[in-house]
Amino acid sequence: MGNCISEDRRKSTLMAGDEMSQKNTTPLFFLAPAVILIIVFVIYPIVQTLWLSFLSPKGEFVGLRNYAQILRSKEIINSDRFPFECPPWGALIHNAVWIAIHLPLTVFLGLFFAIILKDVKGASIIKSIVFLGMVMPMVVGGLMAKFLFDKDIGIVNVVLRFIGLHSLADISWTYHPETALLATILIGVWMWTGFSMIVYSAALAAIPREYYEAAEIDGASSFRKFIHITLPLLKPATLVVVVMTVLWELKIFDIVYVATGGGPGEASMVLAILMYIKAFVAFNFSEAAVLATLLTLLTLPPAIWIAKTAVGRK
Amino acid sequence: MKGKVSTVVAHVVALLIGVVWILPVVSIFMVAIRPIREILHGWWNFKEFHPTLKNFVEALNHPTTPLGRGLLNSFIIASLAMITPVFIAALAAYAFARFSFPIKTYLFLTIIIMMAMPQQMVAIPLFQIMIKLGLINTYLGLILVHTAWGLPWIILFLRNFFLTLPIEVEEAARVDGASDFQIFLRIVLPMSLPALLSVTALQFTWVWNDFFLALLIVYSPDKLVATQRIVWMKGKYHTPWDTLCAGATLVMIVPVIIYAVFQKYYVKGMVGWVIKG
Amino acid sequence: MAAAGEAKTLIIVVGIVCLLIGFGAGWMVKPAPAPMKLVVIGPWSGAEMESFMPVLGAFAVEKGIMVEYRTYRAEDLATILPAQFKAGKAPADVIFMWAWWIRNNTEHILDISDIIDSADFMPGIVDQVTVDGKVYGAPYTGKVKPGFWYRISFFEEHNLKVPTTWEEFTTLLENISAIDGIVAPIASGDGVGWPLSDVTEHFILTFGGTDLFEGLINGSVSWTSDEVKAIFKDKLVPLLKKEYFSEPDDWTLILENWWEGKHALYFMGSWITGMVDDPTDLGVFSLPGAKAFVFCPDFMFIPKYTKHPTEAKELVKFLSGAEGQTIQVRQGGHIATNLNVELSAYPEVDKKVAQLLQGATAVTDLDDTIGGEFQTTFWDQLKYLWAHPDEWETVLAKIEEKAP
Repeated sequence: MGNCISEDRRKSTLMAGDEMSQKNTTPLFFLAPAVILIIVFVIYPIVQTLWLSFLSPKGEFVGLRNYAQILRSKEIINSDRFPFECPPWGALIHNAVWIAIHLPLTVFLGLFFAIILKDVKGASIIKSIVFLGMVMPMVVGGLMAKFLFDKDIGIVNVVLRFIGLHSLADISWTYHPETALLATILIGVWMWTGFSMIVYSAALAAIPREYYEAAEIDGASSFRKFIHITLPLLKPATLVVVVMTVLWELKIFDIVYVATGGGPGEASMVLAILMYIKAFVAFNFSEAAVLATLLTLLTLPPAIWIAKTAVGRK
Repeated sequence: MKGKVSTVVAHVVALLIGVVWILPVVSIFMVAIRPIREILHGWWNFKEFHPTLKNFVEALNHPTTPLGRGLLNSFIIASLAMITPVFIAALAAYAFARFSFPIKTYLFLTIIIMMAMPQQMVAIPLFQIMIKLGLINTYLGLILVHTAWGLPWIILFLRNFFLTLPIEVEEAARVDGASDFQIFLRIVLPMSLPALLSVTALQFTWVWNDFFLALLIVYSPDKLVATQRIVWMKGKYHTPWDTLCAGATLVMIVPVIIYAVFQKYYVKGMVGWVIKG
Repeated sequence: MAAAGEAKTLIIVVGIVCLLIGFGAGWMVKPAPAPMKLVVIGPWSGAEMESFMPVLGAFAVEKGIMVEYRTYRAEDLATILPAQFKAGKAPADVIFMWAWWIRNNTEHILDISDIIDSADFMPGIVDQVTVDGKVYGAPYTGKVKPGFWYRISFFEEHNLKVPTTWEEFTTLLENISAIDGIVAPIASGDGVGWPLSDVTEHFILTFGGTDLFEGLINGSVSWTSDEVKAIFKDKLVPLLKKEYFSEPDDWTLILENWWEGKHALYFMGSWITGMVDDPTDLGVFSLPGAKAFVFCPDFMFIPKYTKHPTEAKELVKFLSGAEGQTIQVRQGGHIATNLNVELSAYPEVDKKVAQLLQGATAVTDLDDTIGGEFQTTFWDQLKYLWAHPDEWETVLAKIEEKAP
């Protein structure tokens, strides 16, 4: 009799929770500390920033005028120079370039590594090495960008010289507008591929062997197995990787701040750093608030996706 | 035969991956242990090789930006900002997992969306709040912000974990007359040790690695955290590369050690709440 | 269960007792009254602090007043002081701070016109801390940005001479480029960006004069005006285009490369004397025709809320007077603002710098004075200019956008 009741309870829907407690005040005590902290230090500031973005520097309400101004500014989108001249192209475009280059690289490399390392001896060590990038402070990543691409002591430059690409090898990438953005993006790839790799690794491990065995019985080649079994089953994992990676690329700050400060000549500037400069160097809070809001708007689609999947989980 | 060749190829490629990926870290370490004159033309030159710990000592005791104090500060803040949010989040997560109450879904959704928020969206008001509360440039201020900031993802993770716990145990305790809080403290938490380890390791690392929030809130020399110290070393104080790399090694070794020791929990923490399984 | 409850009670009781004892003890034990001493706050730590101590020590011995020193960076003070001053308090009796900050906060600062006479100091210096005819700050020693440093041995080896005209300067650069092993005649350091801004300011000062320079600072002159454009177009940019300037490269690596002979000249501040192996091998010359230099000495002020104004004034008089400054410069690395400091007090290398300054005017660093977004943009754009000298007009326009 006891068993039947528990089973019924488990079958009830997720969000209804369990009717374990009908005391109406208990949830309050459990939730209060968290909710208070989040309201004070997260939600209220968000609303404040939003409000700030509609004010002029003097404090008068100007609605969307700030937004129009910022979006037209060359610091955000420099249509004169994009795409045929070298950067600076505007912070928004730079973030887009981050996504355009960093996302495919990390997704493919992560998947590739996960596949290669699936049945290799010593894979866990190699995976740990690749994952190191995720573990360390991103400011160290910024240091690495300066260091590895330095014309005198950078190991990348040595390799480039070896291949014969002298024009790229004999400059320190973080000091030249043509290469600064790329240097930061490449270090970003080095740091973030570990995430993509372990997500794919976990997903690959979760695919039941029987699927492959069944396909082999039917005479399918490795290639066909990959295309028709593996890839489709990896779709959820891919979604997760893409969403989290895009979020990371939009919010990137530490690496660029340390490697180039956004320069030279704003050639590697990203939205997060531009916001910081406007707020705490130029003390133009309304412009900074607009940038912050814009950045947040860009992160909303991934955020909503996360929320939907989080709530829909069993 | 084909199987053998592809395995060999796989092993070679795997090795290559490992070598290429560890090069940046090795580079930093190489420069950290050698005097700058030796590595001026690249650390791969081993003509002269006199490893020394001098750079580490200099980094720790740098006259204008000593890393030793920075490491201590990072430790204090990360420790406190690791315990606090985990406990507070566990409470909230339990409520979301086990209780039903009005606006539960909306509240949960809101908290989850906070996870994706850029820190820039809260920076300015947070700065102003801290000044008003007198918490600017204090450990407490930074810890509070980190706590609040860590709550959303920890709540999500723990709530998902709690949902997987068998409810019968809790029900049985209720029949015995235990209060909700006692059930939470004495039964649920002990059963959740693996999950708690995961979030603790991740949160500590996250706070240790943070730069932006520290940049926002803390500015007096004796309170700067390790990540800030490294950045100032490169930026304002023009530290030579050897000392700089030694400092970087010291700052990154802590999260790496935590990862090495808690690897299983760490990875589960990262993957566990984003993917089924 | 009962035992656990007992243990809990015990712990609580013990805890409360400990707290009570602690508070009680703290209440009863009062510290002995401290002897009168002055507190000085300065930005120096480490070796720099070590060289400041003898000056304070000499004052203590001479006047019999103890002085305690505390380190605070100017940026940190800028955040801490306003709140303290509003509360009518001051963390020290004498505080070192930026000149522009002193000018902006005179309502909290003691007027020291009675002890500072601008005739005693390099022209232009005391003006930096004078508001409405009243002097609020006292100049101490400082570091100068005198010009291009070179190794005497290098010049001798290659038969090079210090230039006295612009033509000689460009010829010198050309001759240096031809030397084996030289990557570029002039080394360009890259810190946050200030090594580039320093050399640019030197050009502006030399060919534009102090009025133009001041005009750029206060916004009355535009960066896109003809005079400024001429300086860039005719003097700085051609040198950049001919690749006489190296790539901006890591500040400390460049120092090594310059010392080893990959570069011949390095535009730097006088602090470089403390950074090389052999300071006696150092020589310096400025751009021919330079009559003004960026000289940012340290300034000190006395907050109105000090409890010892008379003694504080004595200290300030000592420090900024010939006596205090002489002791400081004797240790090297500092240049005096007080005209009564003898040249003989300087160590060899610093003497050369001091000589360059004789008869010259002192001005403040341009980007430091304006600060804010202008400074970050200025540095950033100069880095761009070094990489793309042909886009100099765009660079000037971008700088002007953020200029006052």
